[in-house]
Amino acid sequence: MSDAPSITASTRRARLVAWLRRDHRYVLLGTSAVACVGMLLSSRPRPALSFLAHAFTVELVMYYVLVAWLVLSAAALAYKITHWDTYAQTAPFVRPGARRALRLGSHVIWALTVTLFVDRVVMGFASAWVAASAATSMPPDDMLTQILYMLQQGYATYLQGIITTIELAVFGTAIAFVLAMLLVFVRIQRIDRPDNDLVRFWKKLGSGFARVYSTVVRGTPMLVQGVIIYYAGFGLFSGSGMSVTEINAVWSRFVAGLVVISLNSTAYMMEVLRGGIESVDNGQMEAARSLGLSQWQAMVKVVFPQGIRYAIPGLSNELVINIKDSSVLSVIGVFDLAFAASTIAGIYWKQLNAYLVIAVFYLIMTATASWLLGKLAKRLDVRSEPVLGVSNQVKAGGEK
Amino acid sequence: MAADEKIAGAGAAAADRAAGADRAAASAGAADRGAGAADAVIRVEGLQKSFGANVVLRGIDLAVMPGQVVTIIGASGSGKSTLLRCINLLETPDAGHVWFHGKDLAAERVDINVLREKIGMVFQGFNLFNNMNVLGNCTLAPVTLKKMDRRQAERVALANLDSVGLADFAGADVNTLSGGQKQRVAIARALCMKPDLMLFDEPTSALDPEISGEVLEVMRRLASQGMTMVVVTHEMAFARSVSDEVVFMDEGVIAEKGSPERMFTNPEMPRTREFLARYL
Repeated sequence: MSDAPSITASTRRARLVAWLRRDHRYVLLGTSAVACVGMLLSSRPRPALSFLAHAFTVELVMYYVLVAWLVLSAAALAYKITHWDTYAQTAPFVRPGARRALRLGSHVIWALTVTLFVDRVVMGFASAWVAASAATSMPPDDMLTQILYMLQQGYATYLQGIITTIELAVFGTAIAFVLAMLLVFVRIQRIDRPDNDLVRFWKKLGSGFARVYSTVVRGTPMLVQGVIIYYAGFGLFSGSGMSVTEINAVWSRFVAGLVVISLNSTAYMMEVLRGGIESVDNGQMEAARSLGLSQWQAMVKVVFPQGIRYAIPGLSNELVINIKDSSVLSVIGVFDLAFAASTIAGIYWKQLNAYLVIAVFYLIMTATASWLLGKLAKRLDVRSEPVLGVSNQVKAGGEK
Repeated sequence: MAADEKIAGAGAAAADRAAGADRAAASAGAADRGAGAADAVIRVEGLQKSFGANVVLRGIDLAVMPGQVVTIIGASGSGKSTLLRCINLLETPDAGHVWFHGKDLAAERVDINVLREKIGMVFQGFNLFNNMNVLGNCTLAPVTLKKMDRRQAERVALANLDSVGLADFAGADVNTLSGGQKQRVAIARALCMKPDLMLFDEPTSALDPEISGEVLEVMRRLASQGMTMVVVTHEMAFARSVSDEVVFMDEGVIAEKGSPERMFTNPEMPRTREFLARYL
């Protein structure tokens, strides 16, 4: 069931609940599908911690109840096909007593399937966990146990990777946001009539720089930027006569990574902000200018506060992108989640397992970030307080 | 210079403007004109403007005296709005001059921002600032540009909102207002800068006839209080009853101008007659 934050979400949920509780077709056919899943689970090998292993007869009975339900549903379906138009009047399945019994039966089928699910899947996971904990070397047999073993052995590595990735993404995005705010003002400034030659020169220079910056950064891969910036910085510091240990103290791989991700994200965020600002109606700028405000004053007080609202979705998306894209920084040895995975994969020579784990971690992080940012955007979208509030004096005036 | 005397007598705010205008004049290379030209609030001379290959204004001459209400009428695309927007330099003229109290706005690097403070403009699309409430719209420019104390600015704004009948809406979000209310707020916003001249660019064209009445009423009262106004409009009844001079524009030139009585009863040019026939 999707929890998409929309107006129809609650009505959709209500409709689904009504369908599950009242619909005759669901009770027979829908529950048949559940019964099939239960039978499938029952046919799987029992894990070490299976509790049904000690009650073989019980599981046998459960299995045949599921089969019986399928037979019953098949009978109802056959009746429906042969008596297509009169089913609702003549079928034994639709009599009030039968309906109640079938409803009850569908609950039983659910209960049996859930029990089987716990026995096979949940206890299977637990068994693998126990086996992985007990193992002293890489368990040879099953993949789940191997993954759990690698997770248990390398959890400190993974944890450090997760923390570094979050730090890179959060701080990188925050720094980039500040830089992008500055750069976008440089980028969009226009020559104004009263400007003198020096101001005109600086405006042209700044705007040109911002444009070139954006083109270069967005036109090259972050992996390449990472390598260039890290080694260029390293060369710069060693050129100033510092020893390698001293350089590593100031220009660590993490710091270099943070610089790379910030500078990279700045270019994208600047473009997002510019898009937001440019989607503000030109009349807003004209009205502000007609009152005598300068280009800069009109931008800061009128256009930008409106433009940034349009830019919020794109800006928050940048955090999600940075969570994922920070992975390329492992190329310069930043100890992020991708670096952790390659380290662990190297130890056990199990690439698939190691990267499956971080795929799940990345997914959890990006999903959490999207969810939080969605809530934040929703809150910001509530009309914020006007820039110039109403003072007490005015409130009194308004009442007259 | 009559205009300058009037300003000198008009208190601190006007002195403020005069200082600004002086600054502008200095930066414009003291492009002052003879006393005759300075009588007018606005004097347009030989104004030309084109957008790419499309020539919109082909040499406009126009003078607006203090307290005068000039309406500009004409078909769509005749250049009325462009002329108005050239007067406060929202469009940069290609050639010609716009003298405002004897200072040439079209001169290179004139401090147009200071001069615009004295030229109020009302747009067809209202253009109220969406990120502020009604009061914020009215106080932004006085607080930012005149360095007016917030409370003082709010008092001025409330007085102006009261004069357009919207004092009770001071705290309202601009997006909750009707079109007529928005346009009246826009007028109040312009008045808060105590302009010497008000430009109206088809102020009622986005409103239905019933609602335009309330805006026209405000404009009528403003005219009767002696505000100098240039109004681009399709409201012929308003043009006839309120203006001192009616200007008919056609294809980028002023085809005919004169008193409203003459223009509406006995226009000389066939083109004017043809245009007005559609409204009578």
